[in-house]
Amino acid sequence: MAATKAQGRSFAFFLVALAVGCVGMATWSTGIGKLAFVAGAVALVASLFGMRRIKPEEGKPAQRAGSEGAKLGGAFVALLGWLVTLGGLHVVSSTGGRIVLALVGIAISLFGMVVLLPRAVNKNAIWKA
Amino acid sequence: MTFAQRLVLSFVVCTASTVAYTAALGAQQAAPAPAAATAPAAPVSPTTAELKDAAAKAPSPADLQKGDPGGTVTGTINDVPPSDPKVGRTIGDVANQLGQSTIAINFVWTLITGFLVMFMQAGFAMVESGLCRAKNANHTYMMNFLVYGCGLLAYWLVGFAIQMGGAAGNTNLGGLAPLAGEHTMSLFGKTWGLFGTVGLLLSGHAYDVGVMVIFLFEMVFMDTALTIVTGACAERWKFLAFAASSVLMGALTYPLYGNWAWGGGWLAQLGSNLGLGHGYADFAGSGVVHAVGGITALAVCLIIGPRIGKFNRDGSSNPILGHDISAVLIGCFILAFGWFGFNPGSTLGAATNGNLRIGTIAVDTMLAGCTGTFGALLYMWILKGKADASMSGNGLLAGLVAITAPSGFVSPIGAAIIGLVAGVLVCVSVAFIENVMKVDDPVGAISVHGTNGLWGVLAVGLFADGTSNYGGAWNGVSGSVTGLFYGDAGQFAAQLVGISTLLGFVFTFSFVLNYALEYFIGHRVSAATELKGLDLPEMGQLGYPEFVLVPEPDVMIQAEKQFAVA
Repeated sequence: MAATKAQGRSFAFFLVALAVGCVGMATWSTGIGKLAFVAGAVALVASLFGMRRIKPEEGKPAQRAGSEGAKLGGAFVALLGWLVTLGGLHVVSSTGGRIVLALVGIAISLFGMVVLLPRAVNKNAIWKA
Repeated sequence: MTFAQRLVLSFVVCTASTVAYTAALGAQQAAPAPAAATAPAAPVSPTTAELKDAAAKAPSPADLQKGDPGGTVTGTINDVPPSDPKVGRTIGDVANQLGQSTIAINFVWTLITGFLVMFMQAGFAMVESGLCRAKNANHTYMMNFLVYGCGLLAYWLVGFAIQMGGAAGNTNLGGLAPLAGEHTMSLFGKTWGLFGTVGLLLSGHAYDVGVMVIFLFEMVFMDTALTIVTGACAERWKFLAFAASSVLMGALTYPLYGNWAWGGGWLAQLGSNLGLGHGYADFAGSGVVHAVGGITALAVCLIIGPRIGKFNRDGSSNPILGHDISAVLIGCFILAFGWFGFNPGSTLGAATNGNLRIGTIAVDTMLAGCTGTFGALLYMWILKGKADASMSGNGLLAGLVAITAPSGFVSPIGAAIIGLVAGVLVCVSVAFIENVMKVDDPVGAISVHGTNGLWGVLAVGLFADGTSNYGGAWNGVSGSVTGLFYGDAGQFAAQLVGISTLLGFVFTFSFVLNYALEYFIGHRVSAATELKGLDLPEMGQLGYPEFVLVPEPDVMIQAEKQFAVA
């Protein structure tokens, strides 16, 4: 089982919900606008849960779950590198110091992206089965 | 007549004359103003007189009826409409027409170059599908087809407002005054832009001729970023997940970074707020477009996993060959052609503010593509013994990606060096991502756009030579963008902050967003669908219904047994 009519309906609902929410934001100053934004946001979340409901009908992918915490940890380390760079801009005033801290931040981010995350992802990779 | 009689007569005549003159003078001063049936003729200035003279000397209708094969008499002062026909043409009329013509030239330039960038979608479609297997051709082409619609819809609804809602001030396009809604934050005594708020659905004050031009131009750039992800995730990306992911990327991920770099946001303000050069400088989008696309592609690839049969149990990789190398190379040429819109078009004009540098930008673009091709071709030829076609094409693209950010700021020699490094870098990066990270990227999108997008951002901070002049300032800092090799370490620092933001924020944001989509939708098709090919199960039609496809290699047959679903 692959693409289905239910998928089509879900995606249409997703797009309509997004559109209604954005119309609400565009007309935020009016009461109708606020109502439209809330309705759109609720409908958007509902559309995502609708997609989750039909997900099992689409068949089993060649994936194995596991190490979810490690994956998110790797992503967090990548974010941490960026925070080190931003912090360096305010803690250090010299250009040379800011360059050094930016490089440190980049290295931390790359460690998370290139080392930690792939390690977590490949721990239960399908090709290891 | 006696003397006395003459004296009396003279006195009488003088007196009478004086009385008469005085009476006449008083009558003139006491006379009422003439009726205002016709205004008094304004004094004719020498300039207005010149304008009238020029109009009189312009070709008459009788002259124009004879035809103008040489173009020497078409377009004269008579084509400048006077604001008041009774007064006639004035210097103010001529000045106004000059201003409008200047903006019109910039509008046409920006729109035409935007049309070229839009056509790059065809190039991407051909390159990606050509590098994939025939059984997935329809699906791969369809992703590149629909990403245009997904991105445009999301960008029109909300993305443009987030990215450019606070971008007022661009004099090339008439000022873009309605886009004056940047949401800011105060931190450490400085004001930093975060995102825009004007322009949702291009409604309200955003219904403006200048705003329409910048919307079209920025939209086609956004779509380039979105389409990059489709190549990296080809041959196993569920169509529904691709569509939802693309909509969210066009609505949120791309516009956020785009605002920070181009829409009045904090990255561009690093120069004016902290003295770091001219702030983050990205002329046409090595970072904003290509690195965002490549880094998002990496994030989704890590979630979606490799194709069945790509890696063996010991971690070694198997080549999975594309089905149409001719499509790949023709697609690369289409992309190279479109890049003449991408880079030179980023001046947003051809008539003001140093825009005559468009020729230099175009030549820089060509040169970087050329040396990128040679870099990859010679690397593969020397290392592997063959002039690899697909890597040569990727080398061309890598050079073009890398020159995108520095194209407005570097010399031709700098452009050639940047391209050459990019050509070698893409080959090294492809091997690293596949063999070390064990990430499967069927088209090399992560290496072409991600790795070389970052290289392009860094190259600005190194090679910008300080000779460009776009209105005497960039990002609100006077002077020309200058890199480390020409004396400005601050610019180098600003570029590093941009790179850190791409790696730390954009990657994490994309990963978390698509991780959520994995929970709700699931990115990957079923194993059975993947083995059969995505065309029939996902699209309902084969890409090549009359072709008899060659049997899969042994490794795929083994995988079929492993993943067989009843």
